Amino acid sequence: MDHLSLELAEGGLTVLVGPSGCGKTTTLRMVNRMVEPTAGTVSLRGKDIREVNAPELRRGIGYVIQHAGLFPHRTILDNIATVPLLLGWSRKKARARAAELLELVGLPSEMAKRYPNQLSGGQQQRVGVARALGADPPVLLMDEPFSAVDPIVRAELQAEFIRLQKELHKTIVFVTHDIDEAIKLGDKIAVFRTGGKLAQFDTPERLLADPADDFVAGFVGHDRGIRRLSFVNAADVPLRDGPVLPVASSVASARAVGEPWVLVVDAGRRPLGWASVAGLPEGGTLADVPLAPLGHTFSLVGDSARAALDSALLSPARLAVGVDTHGAVVGVADAHELSAGPADTAGTDADAVGAVVADGAGGGIG
Amino acid sequence: MNDFLNQIRLVADWLTSPAQWHGDDGIPHRLAQHLVYSGLSLFFAALIGLTLGLLVGHTGRGSFAVASVANLARAIPTFGLVVLVVTVAGLSTTPVLIALVALAIPPILINTFEGVRGVDPDTRDAARGVGMTEWEVLLRVEVPMALPLILLGLRVAAIQVVATATVAAYPGLGGLGRFIVDGLSRNDYQLVIGGSTVVVALALVVQVAFTALRRVIVSPGLLAPASKP
Repeated sequence: MDHLSLELAEGGLTVLVGPSGCGKTTTLRMVNRMVEPTAGTVSLRGKDIREVNAPELRRGIGYVIQHAGLFPHRTILDNIATVPLLLGWSRKKARARAAELLELVGLPSEMAKRYPNQLSGGQQQRVGVARALGADPPVLLMDEPFSAVDPIVRAELQAEFIRLQKELHKTIVFVTHDIDEAIKLGDKIAVFRTGGKLAQFDTPERLLADPADDFVAGFVGHDRGIRRLSFVNAADVPLRDGPVLPVASSVASARAVGEPWVLVVDAGRRPLGWASVAGLPEGGTLADVPLAPLGHTFSLVGDSARAALDSALLSPARLAVGVDTHGAVVGVADAHELSAGPADTAGTDADAVGAVVADGAGGGIG
Repeated sequence: MNDFLNQIRLVADWLTSPAQWHGDDGIPHRLAQHLVYSGLSLFFAALIGLTLGLLVGHTGRGSFAVASVANLARAIPTFGLVVLVVTVAGLSTTPVLIALVALAIPPILINTFEGVRGVDPDTRDAARGVGMTEWEVLLRVEVPMALPLILLGLRVAAIQVVATATVAAYPGLGGLGRFIVDGLSRNDYQLVIGGSTVVVALALVVQVAFTALRRVIVSPGLLAPASKP
């Protein structure tokens, strides 16, 4: 660790990311004194963490590690009740709390009496999160919690974790080596380079739009231009009316539009499919014309510009179709229009409560 | 085959003879003596072996010394050790007990050490990370997780002690070894084989007792999973 200074926002999720050996895990472990900095200070809510003894400090900070590290000799319920029991709660109260948490992390209550070796990796990791939440700590430290499970389970756990964080608003420090995970989960991301140096500390949007140097740009990846669109709301995308015709229109009116493809919609303006102008019959209405499938549409409420771009790329007309909450067509845009100038959205800084300042030579196991 | 049946009859006759069941030379008295020697030896060996094993296993300091003790113990013949101690220190209770304790310490020490050291580092890290003190890590996580091996060490030690305590008879200390020693000196084959049978039975009882104990105090979570969800 080399002259690192970080301020973490209360209620925010800060991701520490970097290649192995960059000191991200060491930084995380300094917060609960699993690693003692050789120089510098770590303060939590304005207080130097060395003021309380290490076990007491740790009981007030949730801790989740890669392989969950559950206690194999204890039932799931007793694993989750660990911290409350250490704090001296009665067994009954601790177990009642544990049962609540089991439900919160989405596990059925039948699992309470099982042992860790009867659970899958993903389930164990959920129990690990529940155990960390035992005494409702304001701060959570998570060290690669989703790295050891397969990609499908990982995506599931991430989605569930995002939902949980929306509900709980914990101050979270999250370590990962996976930049995609960092961008998906982080409110702010600290990118470390080997040797414990902080390369950039920024919001995911800023990291993708404006990497500080070649190392960050390389680490973020070559498709950062596309991924950046994930942070642009589809509602902010400029749409035009485009070649949209009701299904009752005549073939002649479709030709009159002057475009190679026409989007056919029903009476409620819900899209039915694309009609190729070159393949139109002599006469009749668009109802008689075979339609090419839509690919998929994007919703102006909830979808990102990235989903919109995908929709454009999959459409036979190379046009993305934006729909409102009723599924009615609002407008279309092509790939070029979708990627043009999404405004940079600067991250909002909440009150800083946690700060890590360490310098000198600390041990570095990333 | 007939020979075998004859021997069984010999043992049965000896065991059912009323003379064996009372008095200072009776089985109950000899058994009680045997159990006292064995129990005392095992108690002190456990005190030393468990303490050292837990300490070294938890801190990791002194691992080399424990490994050396393990190798040494494997090399020394147990009966030889007892005879050596008795020869050097004379024929009295204390040397015999010391020899039995020395005999019982290695399996307890080594298995306890291995059990604690073998706890998954992730589990230990998690235990500290959720805020356990070093004592809590040891007593609430490492000991329960090491329990199968700790019991194994105690069982091996107990069976060795029970079997080897027969030598207490040589210095004239009684115990079940009395039957064997006396039988040999009097050329009383029935006495030898009868006494041996009781010793073997006692060893089997110890084995069964430890198996039962293991079933009761080892967490089911440490055994193979019964069913995957």
